[in-house]
Amino acid sequence: MDRGSIKKWLKAPGKMGQKYSFWVVYFCTGCGIIEIPPTITSRWDAERFGVIPVATPRQANLFLITGYVSVKTLRAIIRTYEQMPDPKYTVGFGSCPINGGMYWDSYNTIKHLDKYIPVDGWIAGCMPRPESIFIAVTHLWTMIDKGMATGYIKYREKYKNYRKNQEEALGKLEWPPLYPVGDKNE
Amino acid sequence: MIIKVISIIVLPLIALIIGFFFLGLSRKVIARIHRRYGPPISQPLIDVIKLINQESISHGKLFDMGVILSLAGSVILVLFIPFGGIAPLATSGDLLVIIYLMLLAPLGVALSGGEAANPNVSIGISRKMMLALGYEVPFLFSLLAVMTWYKTTSLVEVVKAQQSFLWAIFYLPLPAVAYFMILPAMLGIRPFDIVSAPQEIASGTAVEYGGRYLALTTIQHAFHIFIDIALFVNLFLGGGNLLTFFVKMLVVFLLGLFINAVFPRLRIDQAIKYCWKWPAILALVGLIIARII
Repeated sequence: MDRGSIKKWLKAPGKMGQKYSFWVVYFCTGCGIIEIPPTITSRWDAERFGVIPVATPRQANLFLITGYVSVKTLRAIIRTYEQMPDPKYTVGFGSCPINGGMYWDSYNTIKHLDKYIPVDGWIAGCMPRPESIFIAVTHLWTMIDKGMATGYIKYREKYKNYRKNQEEALGKLEWPPLYPVGDKNE
Repeated sequence: MIIKVISIIVLPLIALIIGFFFLGLSRKVIARIHRRYGPPISQPLIDVIKLINQESISHGKLFDMGVILSLAGSVILVLFIPFGGIAPLATSGDLLVIIYLMLLAPLGVALSGGEAANPNVSIGISRKMMLALGYEVPFLFSLLAVMTWYKTTSLVEVVKAQQSFLWAIFYLPLPAVAYFMILPAMLGIRPFDIVSAPQEIASGTAVEYGGRYLALTTIQHAFHIFIDIALFVNLFLGGGNLLTFFVKMLVVFLLGLFINAVFPRLRIDQAIKYCWKWPAILALVGLIIARII
C-alpha cells in the first residue's frame, strides 16, 4: 500500500484518489449481499481501505455484482452502471456472474455477465469470504496502477456491441443509448 | 489594510484545514468506538481528490449555481467569525449578520436540489428546512441571551468581555447547554442526520450529486463544521489565541462526536419536538435570567 507516499500523490493525484477511495454502490443482486454487512461493519472493517457503501450510483465508483443475475435484475444493473460517473470499476462477486454457477441451466439467469457490462475482475467462490473482497480491492489497486482496469473505456468504445447483447437478452430497452450508436441513426 | 487582505485569504484556508481534520477525525474516532481500525485521518481529502477527478453530471444551470451559492455563503460566514483574534470582516452588528447568512447554505442546497427533480431530493430538502426551523428557535434564544447579557451585537466585543473576566458559560449555563444540545442538529450528525439518511432516502439532498458537485458539498460541510463549533467557542468559551481556540474547538467537537457515535437516528417529528421542547425552554429561561439580573 502506497497511500502515504507524497511523491506518487503529486505525480498522479487522480489515479491515487481513485485507488484509495472506492465507494461501492449498495446494490443487492443475489445472495452474495449477505457477505457485505460483515465486510463493512466492525468485524472486517472495509473502511480502513477507503471502501464505503453509498446509497446512490451518482456517488459510486465501484460496482460489486453480488450473486446471481436474473434477467429482471440485469435491467437494473445496466441502468445503475450507466448512471455511475466515469472512472468506474465493476467486480463480479461469486461464481454465478462468471458462468451461472449453480444456476447454469436456469432459464432466466444471465450466465455471462461480461457480455452485457464490462467487468474488471472476478471473485470466484460460493460464497467468497469477506477477506476475498479485500484481496480483490488490492488487485484492483494493482490493475489501476498498471492501467489495466479500463472497463469503462471499453464500454464506451464497444457500446454498440454491448447494446446489441443487452437488447438480445431484454428485448427493446426503454432508455436511450448512453453513447451514440452509429447504425441506429443511419 | 494589507493585514486585513491577508487574513481574508488565510482564514478560509485555516477553516478548511480544520474542517477536513475534523471530518477525518470523526471517521477515525467513530471507527475506534465501533472497535474498528478506521480509515486514515486524510481520508476525506483523498475522497475529495477522487471526486474532483471524476466525471460530473449536471442537471442544469441552477443545479450548478445552488452548490456554489451554498459554498459561498459558508466562506463569507467564516470571515465574520473571529478565530483566535483574526476577524477580518468584524463589524458592530456581526451577530445579526451571522443569523442571516446561516440560512444561505440550506437555501443553496434547496435551489440546486429543486433543479435535479429527484423525489428523494425533495424529501431531503423538506426535512432540511423543517430541521432548520426546529433548531433556529433555541439557537436564536441562546444568541439573544448572550446579546442581552453583554449588551452588544458584536461578536468581537463578546469575546473581549469574556477574555477580561470569566467565560460566558459560567454566567449563562442554560443557553450554553441549549446550544450544545442543538449542535448535532446544526452539524447534521447522527441523532439528527435525518436530512442525509442513506438508508431511508438514499442520502437525501446529495442523491444527484456526483463528482465535483459532491466535492464542493464536502468542502462546504467542512466549513460548516468549523462555523458552528467556532461560534460556540466564541460565544460561550471565551475565544482564545490560535492554539487554545483550536483546543476548545476540538473538545466541543469530540463531545458532540461521542453522542453521534452511539445514538440512532430520530424521525423528523421527534427531532422537531425535541428541538422546540428542551433546548428551547432552557434557552428561554436563560434569556429571561439574563434579562432580569
